[in-house]
Amino acid sequence: MSGCALADLSGGSVLKKRILVAAVVVALMGFAAYAALFIAPTESKMGTVQRIFYLHAPSGMVALLSFFVCFVGNLAYVFKRQPKWDWLGVSAAEVGMAFCTVLILTGPIWAHPVWGIWWTWDARLTLTFVLWLLYTSYLLLRTLVEDPDRRALVSAIYGIFAFLDVPLVYGSIRWWRTQHPQPVIMGGAGSGLEPTMRKVFWFWVLNLVILMIFLIRERYALEAMRGEVQFLEREAEAA
Amino acid sequence: MALLSNTAVLLGKELRTEFRSRELLTTTVVFILTIVVLFSFTFDPSVSESRRFGPGLLWLAFLFAASLMLQPCFLREQNNDTLSALRLSVNDPFAIFLAKLAANTLFLLFTQVLLLPVFSILYNVPVLAAFPQLVLVMFMGSLGLSVTGTALSAISAQARMRELLLPLLLLPLLTPVLIASTEATAALLVPNPAMRWDWMGFLLAFDVVFLTALWLFGEYLLEE
Amino acid sequence: MTNLSSVFAAYVIGWGIFFIYYITVARRTAALRKDIERLKNSLNRGK
Repeated sequence: MSGCALADLSGGSVLKKRILVAAVVVALMGFAAYAALFIAPTESKMGTVQRIFYLHAPSGMVALLSFFVCFVGNLAYVFKRQPKWDWLGVSAAEVGMAFCTVLILTGPIWAHPVWGIWWTWDARLTLTFVLWLLYTSYLLLRTLVEDPDRRALVSAIYGIFAFLDVPLVYGSIRWWRTQHPQPVIMGGAGSGLEPTMRKVFWFWVLNLVILMIFLIRERYALEAMRGEVQFLEREAEAA
Repeated sequence: MALLSNTAVLLGKELRTEFRSRELLTTTVVFILTIVVLFSFTFDPSVSESRRFGPGLLWLAFLFAASLMLQPCFLREQNNDTLSALRLSVNDPFAIFLAKLAANTLFLLFTQVLLLPVFSILYNVPVLAAFPQLVLVMFMGSLGLSVTGTALSAISAQARMRELLLPLLLLPLLTPVLIASTEATAALLVPNPAMRWDWMGFLLAFDVVFLTALWLFGEYLLEE
Repeated sequence: MTNLSSVFAAYVIGWGIFFIYYITVARRTAALRKDIERLKNSLNRGK
């Protein structure tokens, strides 16, 4: 079982390594926050509140990236049927949901002081909500299927359908919004970003990608351990 | 071609099964009718308001109806243990899906065409002028509903709480169909009806993408 | 500068979500590790 090596994380040096990695991630996040709050210049039109952008927009990009990783895991599982791809799929989906939730929550916090409204059904926010619903359904489906192999297979196929839907949802919402415009409150990611802002933005993207990889690995390890527990339980029963 | 002839045979079976009892069609028609009536209480059903909100509410009703109507699709086979017999009867398991989605498309289209005149009368929205175009829009929309609904029905049949699960899985996925169908329908219910080929293109793309996905992955859903 | 509270709130919420998610995963991992030890011990005893 390929997961067993990962699950045997009881050694002292391995634990130290994990703590070190976690510390690096926390340090990076801290520096990124400092960059967003102090290094980046204040935006002329919206003022201080625009600084939320450095957390909001990269979260969206990383959420999509995470869901793409989930998609890859789903495809791999359907064709190879190795449990590790299922583990990757659920991990990436959960982490993607975390980033998606951050996106949905930071949006209104940004919008309210500037435009006086909490929510607007513009293309990006609407897509985010649909995405949030799709992957909530994915995770919910998993809790409703008992058998691990069956659960892995049906959730993988649903995951594939969900991800294939993403460009269609985005395209249809955008096309629809061009005909029924709403106030676009977030603006394009690259619209009017001066060089320092752009550097901070891409630093945040890198930072969140590293966080994504870190969280997926932790979650994957948990899922791999679950696999080992099931294996051991079956052995204990047989013995 | 073997696939088409298998599909035709299975489609005949699906249609015969339904027309023997007609329970699925009847309940779906009554359900949509109920929603159409209930909608009249949620806004002021003047002619202009009906033209604004009507298409969206109509397609919402179709979506809800579909997510209920598609549940027995594979549940029926599971409960009667006929799935293995079905699989043995064809070379290509895709024929089973093709037959079911063809049947579901026809059922959905039938209920929609039946209810369009009723909607027209109740909300004073003219449908005769653009009736053939409306049928085309409803066909493309129903195809989208059926392709995804049939696949997801096979998925939810293997889970607990399947009555709640199928709508939950299906409805977010159908966002593009809802938008495209509503826009195309709305453009046909105005005094100068015009066919929105851009939205029809969207529906076609949706149908092609998910039909291909169903063709690639459907057989795994029928595994034991 | 009242908008600074919004910025603060956004970042706290953002990190809060990542942190809470990490903590829940870490706790479940630790609990599972104990389970594995217990199962391994009972298997070894059985042998």
